[in-house]
Amino acid sequence: MISLERVSLVYEDHGREVHACREVTLDVQPGEFLGILGPSGSGKSSLLYLMSGLKVPTSGSVHWRGDDLAGMGDEVRAQIRLKEFGFVFQYPYLIGYLTALENVLVALPGEDRVSEAERLLTALGLSEHMRRYPHQLSGGQKQRVCVARALLGSPAAVFADEPTAALDHTSGRGVMGLLNEHRGAGALVVVTHDPVMLEGADRVIEMEDGAIVS
Amino acid sequence: MIVLAVMLIAGIVSLINSIPLSIKVIYAYSKQYVAVTPRGNPFLTPLFMKVVEEESPVELERVMVIRGSGVEVKSIVGNWPFVVLGLEHSDMDYYLDRMSSEVVEGRLPEAGKPEAVISETMSRNLGLGIGGILQKPDEAESFSPMPVKVVGIADGENWFAFTSIEYQLENHFPNIDAFMAFAKSPADQLKLDNWTEEQLAGQNAQVFTYRQLEEQADTMFTILYQILNVVIGTLVVVITLMMGMLINIFLSQRVQEFGLLQALGYTKRGLLRRVLVETTIFVVGGWFLGLAVAFGLLNLVKVVLMDPKAFALDTTDWSAYSYSLPVPVAIFVVSLVTVWVKFKKFDPVGIVERRLV
Ligand SMILES: Nc1ncnc2c1ncn2[C@@H]1O[C@H](COP(=O)(O)OP(=O)(O)OP(=O)(O)O)[C@@H](O)[C@H]1O
Ligand SMILES: [Mg+2]
Repeated sequence: MISLERVSLVYEDHGREVHACREVTLDVQPGEFLGILGPSGSGKSSLLYLMSGLKVPTSGSVHWRGDDLAGMGDEVRAQIRLKEFGFVFQYPYLIGYLTALENVLVALPGEDRVSEAERLLTALGLSEHMRRYPHQLSGGQKQRVCVARALLGSPAAVFADEPTAALDHTSGRGVMGLLNEHRGAGALVVVTHDPVMLEGADRVIEMEDGAIVS
Repeated sequence: MIVLAVMLIAGIVSLINSIPLSIKVIYAYSKQYVAVTPRGNPFLTPLFMKVVEEESPVELERVMVIRGSGVEVKSIVGNWPFVVLGLEHSDMDYYLDRMSSEVVEGRLPEAGKPEAVISETMSRNLGLGIGGILQKPDEAESFSPMPVKVVGIADGENWFAFTSIEYQLENHFPNIDAFMAFAKSPADQLKLDNWTEEQLAGQNAQVFTYRQLEEQADTMFTILYQILNVVIGTLVVVITLMMGMLINIFLSQRVQEFGLLQALGYTKRGLLRRVLVETTIFVVGGWFLGLAVAFGLLNLVKVVLMDPKAFALDTTDWSAYSYSLPVPVAIFVVSLVTVWVKFKKFDPVGIVERRLV
């Protein structure tokens, strides 16, 4: 569904080249749970951004259902990210002046998905918190709102970058479990340095210094 | 803030505009006629009168001999000189007519007596009712050898005061008659005014017309308006800088939000459009609110402070309101430039990774 062909990403850092990814070749299958493990700085996040079209590779190509992500226009790529992908980031970013429910609806603007959002939040144990604002929620609750936001509209792929890093172990595992449980038919790609979080993954790859080592 | 700035500017300019407006309103009576005062020689009056009567380019309705003495009226910038006419009894009704006015309280002054009719506007301005004293022996600027009592008040918008000509003949100097010429059709008055001015130019006569007055008022205020422009220009720059800083802070907070939304798949263009709409609403809303507040305050000032003294103030003075236009425009431009610059070097990944922009 997503295929990476000898993808490299080079950052320019004060005139020095930083190879965040080196010639990575990888396929993500529909519906699979793919874990990406590796130490800090190994290029996990970079790989995730390349897969999800948030970054354009320096060389190589990323195809989404056969279409080159880099070759399409910004608008089309943004549209795919909006409709087909879901994202959970390391920090539970919510918009401060919107309620939990409204924050979930932000994922698909202009669509009436209130009942779906309510269903998701209820499934994630937040039925009592839908009308609360982010500052009235705990870290774990916020990250669960982010999970609901990522899952709204049943995206074909959900990307999560250290979704549990800001949480304690128990709520971290809780969030991972919910993500896996409610993703429906969508693929799930999770980046983490903690193997425990990848229980239940269909496949785990390990990265080191920008390359896949296993 | 934007509301305050707009209100301040519109309010100040309205108040300043009210000064030349006052001049025009107070002396508007002179729109109705051209007045001629011979210099030094009383025998010139009939001569000039004859010239005007016989050679006038427009049909005249009436030419009347008058006398004049001085009185002061109040304005928001101090006292201004005003004329008390001495009129023939037979001319009084006609004069009132041309002022679109009639005596609504009291009566006309009797010949030779220290009595005057004043307009309702003057009555308010000077706080004089029937029985009030218009001119006094001990007042330099509103002098008359006898206390001149108000015996009648005439309605309407015009400002005027008159006594009988006999009273002034006996009591006021110099001993020279003046005269006023009224065009039959008010539309012709300007033509008559200009013609009279030209005709008597260089001769021993002073010609008074409304156009002169208007010109004087305008030149008097050009310097003031230049200063005003500089002050307002500076104000706009200062306010815009401050607003720019505030907007910057505000947007820095929202950049987080925009980073997140962009990471979720919103386009830069869509977000820019959103900022544009929000800024427009904010700026236009602030401007209108400021104008509304200014309008409200000016009306309050008018009713509470100006009207009781019959001071002129135009609360729908668009030129004054338009002075505040640079504020929203400048703020709008600064906001957009700020947003544009912020967006140009903008990487949503930096934001979701918490590397601050
Ligand atoms: N914007 C950037 N500019 C320059 N170098 C960068 C930038 N972003 C990442 N890098 C570098 O690229 C390499 C890979 O970074 P990346 O964030 O992908 O690692 P990671 O595996 O996600 O690490 P972590 O577990 O700490 O999140 C690192 O050496 C990092 O310093
Ligand atoms: Mg990372």
